Amino acid sequence: MTALLELDGLTRHFGGLTAVDEVTTHVGQGELVGLIGPNGAGKTTLFNLISGFTRPSSGAVRFKGEEITGLPPHQVAHRGMSRTFQNLRVFPNMTVFDNISVGALGALGVGAFQSVIGGRKRSHEISERSWEMLERVGLNEQANDLAANLSYGKRKYLEIARALAMEPDLLILDEPAAGMNHSETAELSQFITELNSEGLTIMLVEHDMSLVMGICERVVVLASGRKIADDTPVEVRQNQAVLDAYLGGDDE
Amino acid sequence: MSKQLLTKVGMVVLLFVVVPAVLMAFDRGYFYQIATIAAVFVLLAASLHLVTGVAGLLHLGHAAFYGIGAYVAALLGSELEIGFTLGLPAAGLAAAFVAFLVALPTMRLISIYFAVATLAIGQMLYLIFLNWVSVTKGPNGVLLFSGIDFFGFDIESEIGIYYVVTAIMALSVVVLYRLTNSYYGNALRSLREDDQCAAAMGINVTVLKMQAFVISAFFAGLAGALWAYTTGYISPNDFNFSQSILVLAMVVVGGLGSLPGAVIGALLLILLPEVLRDVGDTRNIFVGLVMFGAILFLPKGLFGEVSALRFARRILGSGWSGSADNREVGWE
Amino acid sequence: MLDPYYLQQLTIGLSLGMIYALMAIGFTLIFGVLNVVNFAHGEIYTIGAFAGLLMIATFGPPLLAVLLVVMAVGALAGFGLERLAFKPFRRFSDEASMKSRAMREATLMSSLAMSIVARESLELIFGSQFQSVDLSYLINKQIQLGPVTIVNGDLIIFAVALVMFLGLQWLLKYSTIGLSIRAVSNNPLGARYCGINTDRTIILTFVIGSVMGALAGILVGLYYGAIYPSMGFTPGIKAFVAMVMGGLSSIPGAVISAMILGITESMATSVVSSVWADMVAYAFLLITLVFFPQGLFGARRERV
Repeated sequence: MTALLELDGLTRHFGGLTAVDEVTTHVGQGELVGLIGPNGAGKTTLFNLISGFTRPSSGAVRFKGEEITGLPPHQVAHRGMSRTFQNLRVFPNMTVFDNISVGALGALGVGAFQSVIGGRKRSHEISERSWEMLERVGLNEQANDLAANLSYGKRKYLEIARALAMEPDLLILDEPAAGMNHSETAELSQFITELNSEGLTIMLVEHDMSLVMGICERVVVLASGRKIADDTPVEVRQNQAVLDAYLGGDDE
Repeated sequence: MSKQLLTKVGMVVLLFVVVPAVLMAFDRGYFYQIATIAAVFVLLAASLHLVTGVAGLLHLGHAAFYGIGAYVAALLGSELEIGFTLGLPAAGLAAAFVAFLVALPTMRLISIYFAVATLAIGQMLYLIFLNWVSVTKGPNGVLLFSGIDFFGFDIESEIGIYYVVTAIMALSVVVLYRLTNSYYGNALRSLREDDQCAAAMGINVTVLKMQAFVISAFFAGLAGALWAYTTGYISPNDFNFSQSILVLAMVVVGGLGSLPGAVIGALLLILLPEVLRDVGDTRNIFVGLVMFGAILFLPKGLFGEVSALRFARRILGSGWSGSADNREVGWE
Repeated sequence: MLDPYYLQQLTIGLSLGMIYALMAIGFTLIFGVLNVVNFAHGEIYTIGAFAGLLMIATFGPPLLAVLLVVMAVGALAGFGLERLAFKPFRRFSDEASMKSRAMREATLMSSLAMSIVARESLELIFGSQFQSVDLSYLINKQIQLGPVTIVNGDLIIFAVALVMFLGLQWLLKYSTIGLSIRAVSNNPLGARYCGINTDRTIILTFVIGSVMGALAGILVGLYYGAIYPSMGFTPGIKAFVAMVMGGLSSIPGAVISAMILGITESMATSVVSSVWADMVAYAFLLITLVFFPQGLFGARRERV
């Protein structure tokens, strides 16, 4: 298994606080990796370090063998990494179709000049891809609705579809099941597994243990910014450090 | 399909047959003047629409870029005898170039910080128009006697000037329309909605904002040149802060994010005060009141973005989605 | 020969700085509680000047009475402004929407619209030219201090500003009003849960800020003898610049920045023609925004 993403001693300080402390791990091509940890463990910070939203204090991120440490978010995205956000960030005053098209056009690129004269081939590609993703998540009926008018669950799928429209090599999902009920979570985990079985590498942060334990092949556990476990779900469940972190460390 | 064509033909007929016919029927210089001023402000509002309505950057110094265009065209014409044919593109390019220079340091600012930075830039340019007397003639302004030479044709009749101004305005508005009602426009809208999120989608936020700002300044520069050539006289007060606010009010009243809205807003704020002329010089109070009313009661403007988008799709049809195949779902 | 001239410029700069500071405090207080820019603050200044002018023209009372009336008018104007241009947009009371970007931009434009209406109405009533002020009220009587000539206006501005600054400090530190203003600035929702009437606190903030703005207006009007409808625009911008330089919600920061601005400006006029003096403020603003996004004194600034 070749590593698609490698993290090497990744560290980030905020003032006196070390949010992410010497995290070294990797995500192999085609893997579905979960990242868990108690509140304040540094999961979202780690995602921000990987996707370029936060610069690491030290350490390196390598993606497809190339060092991407400190690159701005859009350049990281261009290299084939796509992410969603923890607190659901769709473009509320744009239609569902337009939301998804931003993912497609971000990856394919679109110029001011092309939009005035010609550029039909490019816009054809963008619309093809956007429709494909709309159908994929079953939102084609609502293509013309404002994203703000969608239900919470559908907005979640919209956000994922928008990320997928970039046709990424690595998809990073930040708490995709937050705010979902049991049956919605089950449906979502089915969808994620399906994407993974088609060959997409996925890394996800989640609070919902059942989701992570149920679908991930490997689970990385963070506590106080440090990696304390990196193993299969079965092993992690029995790992003493993990149990301690969850039972004794919830107060962080 | 025929409906699209009909709308397009209708617009052309209105601009180039109906309005000129009415103007000629009345044949009063004053009416020609109003018509060309309205055309200039439609172009200005359309250019601000790109940066404020679509890309969501609150721009409080737009009139200064309009002023750069006007000064470049007027000074080229009166001092160097470089006429309209070269003066017009030169005006646009000069405004765009200055916009590029000021955008370099300021484009990373967001929300009201950007608004205030543009206000400061607008005021600095205004101070230059006003006080760099050796070049701009200071408060006296610049007189421009030459008519419009359009590739060798000298256009001096009022109807001729109307045609030239309107044609340039229409062409520019079509370009702005295509820019905003396209995937490029979607990229700009995503900046307005959530720029961090747009960056995660692979969009280079700073570069895109800068493009919108510079393109907008280019068209404001064109509007400035048109203004200089139609009025024959410009002075610094044509480009001060209240002019910036006037243009902003046009865009806000029509509905932020909607190009037809910006056009309607411009017509409303130019033509209505003319109708109300008898009431006294209340034009600016009127602008303030209409703007306030629009923000309070019509937060989506007279012709809000969503309805404008539906309208755009009806007109452009397949042109928008770029595919003429049977993807009819929802594009009704 | 050199020294007295520069000392004189320094005095003028200090007076100018005090005026900017008086206005900047209003901006800063309002930004503190609502995170919005009150674009009509400059018009409060103009209204203050005009209220004083009308008082002088009709009753001719002692200067102190004029100042008190101007303060009252300023308070009223601040109240009206808040009700008209800010309250209608505060539809939701949770902190996220109270300090949201949409709120910020809507109120920026609504206060801008209000300022246009106020300025243009004044212009319609009084005309756009300078108003004539009863000469005996002008505060430009010369006082010789050794080699330096100052005017009594410098002293009056200094005294009024000092009283205001001290009064404000006392108000913010020791009174319940001040406590509630500070509470709402820190956390409007929390303040509400603690039983503070946020709406009333916001009004009071506008009132206090506007009293100071109106006072600044009449003082400048009498100092230069120049009262006209668009007089508030430039000082408004300068005060805003001082607020940004001071780090947006720090009152001492804004006051010190206002002083720096005033002194720099008056010193600049000895180097370049006075018509370029306004450039100083704009340049300060851009430099601060671009290079010191946290203000010159390093206050915290959130991403907005």
